[in-house]
Amino acid sequence: MSSKPHSSNNIAHARRTVQQLRIEASIERIKVSKASADIMNYCTEHARNDPLLMGIPASDNPFKDKKPCTIL
Amino acid sequence: MSGAAGGVASVGRVQLKLRKTLKGHLAKIYAMHWSADSRQMVSASQDGKLLVWDCFTGNKLVAVPLKSAWVMSVAFAPSGNLVASGGLDNICTVYNIKAASPKTLRELDAHTGYLSCCRFLSDSEIITASDKLKRPQTIMFTNHIGDCMSLALSPDMNTFISGACDSLAKLWDVRDGACKQTFSGHTSDINAIAFFPSGNAVITGSDDCSCKMYDLRSDQEVIGYQDTSLNAGVTSLALSSSGRLIFAGYDDFNCHIWDSLKGEKVGVLSGHDNRVSCTGVPDDGMGVCTGSWDSFLKLWN
Repeated sequence: MSSKPHSSNNIAHARRTVQQLRIEASIERIKVSKASADIMNYCTEHARNDPLLMGIPASDNPFKDKKPCTIL
Repeated sequence: MSGAAGGVASVGRVQLKLRKTLKGHLAKIYAMHWSADSRQMVSASQDGKLLVWDCFTGNKLVAVPLKSAWVMSVAFAPSGNLVASGGLDNICTVYNIKAASPKTLRELDAHTGYLSCCRFLSDSEIITASDKLKRPQTIMFTNHIGDCMSLALSPDMNTFISGACDSLAKLWDVRDGACKQTFSGHTSDINAIAFFPSGNAVITGSDDCSCKMYDLRSDQEVIGYQDTSLNAGVTSLALSSSGRLIFAGYDDFNCHIWDSLKGEKVGVLSGHDNRVSCTGVPDDGMGVCTGSWDSFLKLWN
């Protein structure tokens, strides 16, 4: 039947999908509570080095246009 | 996550000032990418040009004319010597920008669909996203059902994450090409994706108007970023260097700032007159760049 190759393609595709799902289902997972804690710790540890959180003093700001100073 | 973050100090209102507006493109800006030196940046516009900028002075350093104006993605190689771009021409073109005038180095045209995103692994290897993800050598990543719209490399460069129009995000191993994990939850196309700086989580932004953080090791969504007042799709996102702030560009012409731990909106970058199409934070974390369909790039910090 002309539909046979088509259906065997579907079966092959379905097999691959199931295979992939099996691989993904079998990975080792950690608890969300631990995962969340780790993410929070990373943020707090690196917060003081984050210029966008801490603010940048005008003298160190590379993007700020520097205006020349006139001494009167 | 937001429950666990209850004890963390609030970031307060984040107010960043517009420091520079980079003018030079004549049409919509579709993509931008910072150089590893946190000073140069390349932008791509459908005026048919890539512009390399010195963001400290605001000067244009190099202009690369494109064969095809329909550009959707641009990337800076870690060495700073090369940039790559691609789009509706289905080709990823690599240019040497250190030559006296920008030279086309290679054209990678084995794509069957438009190029939505590309990222260099090194000067000699690039990952490209089209309707299938590809590496020019041998490995083809063919797991997404819908067009892949965005990709991000992990900090350790061993894995990358892709977001697609099938509303899924997938984690891939760079070397063997295997899809290791799949994350669902979004209800529409994922347009933007980025790694949390520790490499253990990814943030996605979608046409369903929300962003989500998925933790890789626990294999699930840990927090969502949405607000009933925000009815525009997310086009792009970038994280501050500690990962605490998420800068998400939306179709409502603004870039909203989210507290990644508490899931609250903490600020907004307003100033563009059209959709914010691309956002990027340089490696040193000193600022945010937003690019828009209004043809301007703006630097904030």
